Amino acid sequence: MAELEARDIEMEYERRDGTRVSALEGVTLAIEKSEFVSIVGPSGCGKTTLLKIVNGLITPTGGTILLQGRPISQNSRDRAMVFQDSSLFPWFSVARNVAYGLECQGVPAKEARRRVQPYLEMVGLAGFEQHYPYELSGGMQQRANLARALVVDPQVLLMDEPFASLDAQTREMMQAELLDIWSQSKKTVLFITHQINEAIYLSDRVVVMSARPGRILADLRIDIPRPRTLAVKRGDAFRAQEDRVWQLIEQQARLTMKATQLRTEGAAG
Amino acid sequence: MAVLNGRAPRGPSRPGPLRRWYRANRRLALGVAGIFSVLVPWELLVRTRLVKAILTSSPTEVAATFVTEFQRGSLWTDVRATLAVWVVGFVLAAIFGILIGLAAGWFRRASYVANPWLNVLYAAPELAFVPIFILWFGIGFGFKVFIVFLAALFFISINTIAGVHATEERFLAVAHTFGASRLTIFRTIVLPGSVPYIMTGLRQGASRAVVGVVAAEFISSNEGLGFLIILSGQTLNTSRVMVGIVMLAAFGIFTGEVFRRIEQRFEVWRREANT
Repeated sequence: MAELEARDIEMEYERRDGTRVSALEGVTLAIEKSEFVSIVGPSGCGKTTLLKIVNGLITPTGGTILLQGRPISQNSRDRAMVFQDSSLFPWFSVARNVAYGLECQGVPAKEARRRVQPYLEMVGLAGFEQHYPYELSGGMQQRANLARALVVDPQVLLMDEPFASLDAQTREMMQAELLDIWSQSKKTVLFITHQINEAIYLSDRVVVMSARPGRILADLRIDIPRPRTLAVKRGDAFRAQEDRVWQLIEQQARLTMKATQLRTEGAAG
Repeated sequence: MAVLNGRAPRGPSRPGPLRRWYRANRRLALGVAGIFSVLVPWELLVRTRLVKAILTSSPTEVAATFVTEFQRGSLWTDVRATLAVWVVGFVLAAIFGILIGLAAGWFRRASYVANPWLNVLYAAPELAFVPIFILWFGIGFGFKVFIVFLAALFFISINTIAGVHATEERFLAVAHTFGASRLTIFRTIVLPGSVPYIMTGLRQGASRAVVGVVAAEFISSNEGLGFLIILSGQTLNTSRVMVGIVMLAAFGIFTGEVFRRIEQRFEVWRREANT
């Protein structure tokens, strides 16, 4: 039985003028326990929408999400999300931010502090407990973000382009660190990114989505052996995988661009 | 620069000590110059009898009056009276303003109830209520406090509401993913997030409260800076009017500065967290 399963997910929005737009169409996906799966696709393909559906933040217009074979409940303690931008609360210290999930569960502050400590150490933020988010670098903020999700010990970790706002070097370092943390914690991870090499480097499988309405175009197994160092990115096997994914995405990106062009030309004319 | 001009560099040019001081304190220097650019002509116009001293007093006269009033101690009685009204009215306005603002910001139905009254408060000048308040409280402390309370209440409430409404979506999303209760969301996100807005409201409310207390003392009172000003004006003691104005201005600047500093403390994390 798959750890996490998306069955025939459909997502339709109603525009203001009453016309319906389809964001996701028949998305079916199964993820095994402790598997690291990335979703890549052109911007606006509904990756983030899918992630929010899996998290329970949005209810899909069709289909079901199963966690260990059971439909997900509103209570999302078993899934934790790492957000794209720095979503740390600026008014709380790092320790209180990381403990936030526990606070929401009603864990007493003292116990929360004790449970937070090993995760702060895991992400390399020991010693920064009493600092405030604005005192941290972007990379450190994302580590705190990751720790906050790990602390609640979720079965599935959902990551929405967590490294998108980081500079290139920090981003690479964070990718390596994430793999390290993942191999320690053995979480099931669903990771959204628009960077192909990030997806390949991190994942067991890379799922490629089409331009809107989002459908699954390909589900590729990445069999580069682990543990992976950052150097694998420069190997031939890696390049070949990157090429494959890029070709799939390129087509889609062109379609999106064309659609946008037509729309703007239509609006101009 | 020296090189660009074709002159041989002579090392750093050495301006005189006065020039150096000016460069370091330009803001202060020009600010003081600005004040004197009004005070000096004023003094000269009075001294040369181009204007009548009884109408305008003069800076030196005002200073002298300040010293004598200060020594007599009567000034402090008025300052204390004004301050007491201001503090009680403002603190009450802060408590109720923040509570009303939080409730109206958080519960839609509470906002439907509160909005008409807030609009009335905004539209009608507080002073229009004076006859009614005098009937209720008599001429004295209670009536003045109530004027101050109403003057400050609107600005504190309205800013608090804005603060609650400015709660950022990305923070709410975090709370929802962790299954936070409504109360937890309010306590950990809405409340701390609106603190900078509340501070703005308190700053605006504080200065409205000063207007309120002076107006109340104008209308009917037998003590306070507003009373001092109106009485001195009626007895053609222009210097004492000016002393009262100077005291009020000093108080306004002081409280404004205090609140501005507190606001800035919150601005630090606000700005830097968003970059």
